[in-house]
Amino acid sequence: MAKTVDQYFDDLRDTRVWRSIFRSGTGSSTLKRSLAIQQNVFLHLFATKVRRRMLSFSATWYLGTLTLGTFLMLVVTGILLMLYYHPSVPQAYADTKDLQFVVSSGLFLRNLHRWSAHAMVFLVFAHMFKVFYRGAYRPPREFNWVIGIVLLLVTLLLSYTGYLLPWDQLAYWAITVGSNIASAVPVFGDKIHFMLLGGNLVNANALLRFYVLHCMILPLAAIFFIAIHFWRIRKDGGLYAHQSEPSTLTKTTLAKEAQ
Amino acid sequence: MSTKDFVTGMDSNARKAPRRVAFITRRTSAQVKAVDEETLQTFPEVLFRAAVAIEVMAIGLVTMALLFNAPLEGIADPSHTPNPAKAPWYFLGLQEMLHYFPPVVAGVLVPGLVVMALVVIPYFNINIEAEGLFLKDRERRLRIFYIVTGALVLFLVVFRVFVALVPTLIVAAFMILAAQSSPQSPSAFRRYLASKPLSYWIMSWFLFELVVLTAIGTFFRGPGWSWVWPWRS
Amino acid sequence: MQSSNQPWSSLWKTLFGDPLRAFGIVSAILLVLLAIAPAKNHFSEWRHYQKGYLRMVRSRGEAVTLQRHFQPGIQQIWHPDIGVTDRCTSCHVGLKEASLTDVKFQPYRKHPVIPHTTEQYGCVMCHRGQGAATTVEEAHSSTLAWEQPILPARYIESGCGQCHRANLEGTPQLNQGRALLARYGCVQCHSIKLPDAGVMQATQDAPSLSHIADKTTREWIFAWLKDPQSYAASATMPNFKLKDDDIRDISAFLIANSNPVAGDTLPPISQKAADSTAGASLYGESFCASCHAVQNAAGNLVGGNVGPELTRIGNKTKPEWLRAWIHNPRVYDPGTQMPHYRFSDQQVATMEGFLLAKSDSDFLANVHLDPATPEQIAHGKSLVMEYGCSSCHEITGIKKPENFAPELTRIGSKSISQLIFLPGMSHTLPDYIAGKIRQPRAFSPGLKMPQYSFTLTQIDALTTALLAQNDRAQSMPPSLSVPAPQTSHYRPAGKAGQIMSDLACFSCHAINGRGGDMAPDLTWEGSSVQRKWLEDFFRNPGTLRPALIRRMPKFNLSNEEISTLSDYIMTVYQTPEFDRESLPESGYSATQVEEGKQLFYSKYGCQSCHIVDAKSDKGYIGPTLTGVGSRLTAAWVYHWLKNPQALRPGTVEPNRNMSDDEAKSLTAFLMAQKGSGTKEAKK
Repeated sequence: MAKTVDQYFDDLRDTRVWRSIFRSGTGSSTLKRSLAIQQNVFLHLFATKVRRRMLSFSATWYLGTLTLGTFLMLVVTGILLMLYYHPSVPQAYADTKDLQFVVSSGLFLRNLHRWSAHAMVFLVFAHMFKVFYRGAYRPPREFNWVIGIVLLLVTLLLSYTGYLLPWDQLAYWAITVGSNIASAVPVFGDKIHFMLLGGNLVNANALLRFYVLHCMILPLAAIFFIAIHFWRIRKDGGLYAHQSEPSTLTKTTLAKEAQ
Repeated sequence: MSTKDFVTGMDSNARKAPRRVAFITRRTSAQVKAVDEETLQTFPEVLFRAAVAIEVMAIGLVTMALLFNAPLEGIADPSHTPNPAKAPWYFLGLQEMLHYFPPVVAGVLVPGLVVMALVVIPYFNINIEAEGLFLKDRERRLRIFYIVTGALVLFLVVFRVFVALVPTLIVAAFMILAAQSSPQSPSAFRRYLASKPLSYWIMSWFLFELVVLTAIGTFFRGPGWSWVWPWRS
Repeated sequence: MQSSNQPWSSLWKTLFGDPLRAFGIVSAILLVLLAIAPAKNHFSEWRHYQKGYLRMVRSRGEAVTLQRHFQPGIQQIWHPDIGVTDRCTSCHVGLKEASLTDVKFQPYRKHPVIPHTTEQYGCVMCHRGQGAATTVEEAHSSTLAWEQPILPARYIESGCGQCHRANLEGTPQLNQGRALLARYGCVQCHSIKLPDAGVMQATQDAPSLSHIADKTTREWIFAWLKDPQSYAASATMPNFKLKDDDIRDISAFLIANSNPVAGDTLPPISQKAADSTAGASLYGESFCASCHAVQNAAGNLVGGNVGPELTRIGNKTKPEWLRAWIHNPRVYDPGTQMPHYRFSDQQVATMEGFLLAKSDSDFLANVHLDPATPEQIAHGKSLVMEYGCSSCHEITGIKKPENFAPELTRIGSKSISQLIFLPGMSHTLPDYIAGKIRQPRAFSPGLKMPQYSFTLTQIDALTTALLAQNDRAQSMPPSLSVPAPQTSHYRPAGKAGQIMSDLACFSCHAINGRGGDMAPDLTWEGSSVQRKWLEDFFRNPGTLRPALIRRMPKFNLSNEEISTLSDYIMTVYQTPEFDRESLPESGYSATQVEEGKQLFYSKYGCQSCHIVDAKSDKGYIGPTLTGVGSRLTAAWVYHWLKNPQALRPGTVEPNRNMSDDEAKSLTAFLMAQKGSGTKEAKK
């Protein structure tokens, strides 16, 4: 009898090399599948099981998942873009132009990065409102909601700092307008403005500062908080389900008892 | 119960989930009660679904990236200010407010308060009971509602913020409708409105304002932040 | 998934029923989409043009050579120091291929020959456009991210002007444009800074209006201001399109503001009026037409453009002023370019009568002005200030305004978004500049810039010159900038210097880098001519070149003045190259002369340009040599023959690389030509 694809896959998973990398071993038993999640440094952030109800599209609209998706795409395209970019004036603009003119698929990379960034900002907002309207911030998930707000701010800052990097008129004046708002802070306004830009005006210092924020500090912060955000979903009892609301829970319990 | 006992005592391919015994005390959260909910393994069911969702979105974004180029204008020129100079779209609501209020209000106070409000939402037991706003103590709450809404409308009129006034009035109209509805209403929509708590109304008002102000900042503002019709350019 | 159609439903289930399978299918779609981006890259425009080039080349005779020269991939000319990153040669593949001049279609045609190679400065330096772009649209057009499209070919000379401040032989349009900027007073109101820290200077000083009442009438000022070109078609002054009441007040102010100059008017000279033929012949003999133009019956202007047009001079000047001016122009205007002819009273009267007759009886017929009121004069003064008249004209009591009009130093790189175009006008910088020069008031009735009457050619030339005033020109590294030759402020000293300035020699002759180009450069005149000939020439200037209409006028100099001038010229204007006494002026052997004659007529064929024997020779290009032996020094002739360009750079005379002996023989032959020339000069 010919082996099925699954069997070939099992053979592969049984090899010594595979076993040395993934510790969960062969078999598709519930235990093995649970172990596949638990024993993986990335996946163990997630619960091993999820309520079936939560997989329906209407439950979450997959907004959190999609936000993570845009973030991953931004990391990949962003790293590729970094290979062609110098955060200096006026080279930054020339590099942006060269992405379009000479880098293979450079324009596509930049387009994808740009549109994904807009999508991420939109999805983060959408995610927040969806969570609110479902009431999914209720205890014990209060802190995860706060982490979410932090991630919202990090996302906005990521988008805002990235906005300057092409060093075109659009970028320059958007950042000028935006950073001037910081000056309005009472007492420390000008100090904050100076610290944000590395000077009194948007110039080469501001570009470098925004570059470091955009490519290093803020992504690390985002990854850090995203990790906590996912881990807390598991720790706070999985994705929030309507039945756990006090009123409906009573009904379920009653129904169970009736059975 | 040691971990070792747990593992050895369990068939690796058990049909049923292991039965857990929970001691419910006052301090235990309520979620543990819903144990007998039908669940799926994260691997592969959830992960692959998530992957498919992400990929479908990626297909959309890749198509968009292939068809539409990201905007790029001339090199930054500090000596030449474009008119209007616009912030990124998600800050245009804020910029629209800056048009009406002093920067310290629109640029610092309002966003600061919004973030604060968002952070404290879960800590003030807001919406925990999720009762319809006007179901209890209707007269008093309606009176407070009229006073607050009236003050807000007056404030917006004094500052001539008509773009923010319109969404406010629309939301207020729905709230009045909600106040006139009850859970026994024959209309499903009115039953829905009647069941909505205060936090729902505030958040909806915020969302509505956010969308309207951002859209106006993006599409309806031209040179000198004057009103333009996007189709008449 | 709910589907009314059973097969579709089952297909959906097969494809997406299982998350794993759905994942596989969606991944495949995503991968295919991702592959489109590199595929798009592969079908890029520049690859298309390079393939097209290879196809075109294949059918040509020199295919092998062209294919060998061809380099695939994106080509780039990169000079970061001057901001050049030009990838134009990625598509314009055959720019350097000499054989591709016949190619009908771009982008493969060979570039016309220019003094620079494409590698030297790239393409956008002159052509503009976006050099870094690799698509047709981005490289040539104006886009959101690039403002300057390809410059229309007719303004291409502006590229040269970015580095070259001096006039170039190959850029007549640019030279003309710059000359017009300086001549028509553009730079009096608009300041144009030059990269070497100077400012473009006006070459034509408008007349001072401080003493205008001596010279002309209020009625004439009125008619002139209303339309300067109706008085003189070639008038430099533009039309300010003023309202009649405003002109009335300005004329009132100018007359009231004028103060007389002592001695600049002469009472009528009691000589009998000469007939008009005498006037015309005096006008001709004095070569007034070298500088002044007059409209002839056919409506064409005849004469030079150094001085004002004289077609209707009789309408303009008061007779007593004109008389005094002809007698000695330097009394009224010490700085005038007009020479002080030492006319006799009879000649002054003749010339005055001749010029006053040049009038148009209708010209002032409709101008009737009531006496001016103080309010009108005050209003006139405010108008004179408002329109910046004193930018060009000197007016007593009104200072030249500073920064009266926008600076044009960087007009050639002005951002399109900062310009306001007329409806229906194409939104390009050259069109804006040209439009603004053609009809300034069309852009806004309130603008003060006057209406000039430039021809289309002149407008193109001005636009070219202004386009050269751009950021690139200002930031050009000094090593690349070719500055204009330093303007010389040479002034001859002493008594001779006074005479030379009185005669306005520099209006026509250049000496030590200063002066006009109408007549020969006199810097080394002392080495070149014999003193006797020079004195004779002052007394009665004939012409050396039969083909020329312009000649040196006769100034009626006294013997004392002639000897002062000759002394000065013979001692001061000497070349350091050789001693003028080094060769004898006569005493050459007959054989040497005969040998020289052979060389002249046979070996070098000099008779094709020069005349030695007036009966047989027909050369009219070079000066007549019939009297050369009594005009030039032998040393000059000898060194001239050896290397003409060394003595006068740019002369037409070819350098024939003669041996010393040949040059000596020819000198001997030429120095023997003394007869007729001297006779002619004495006539």
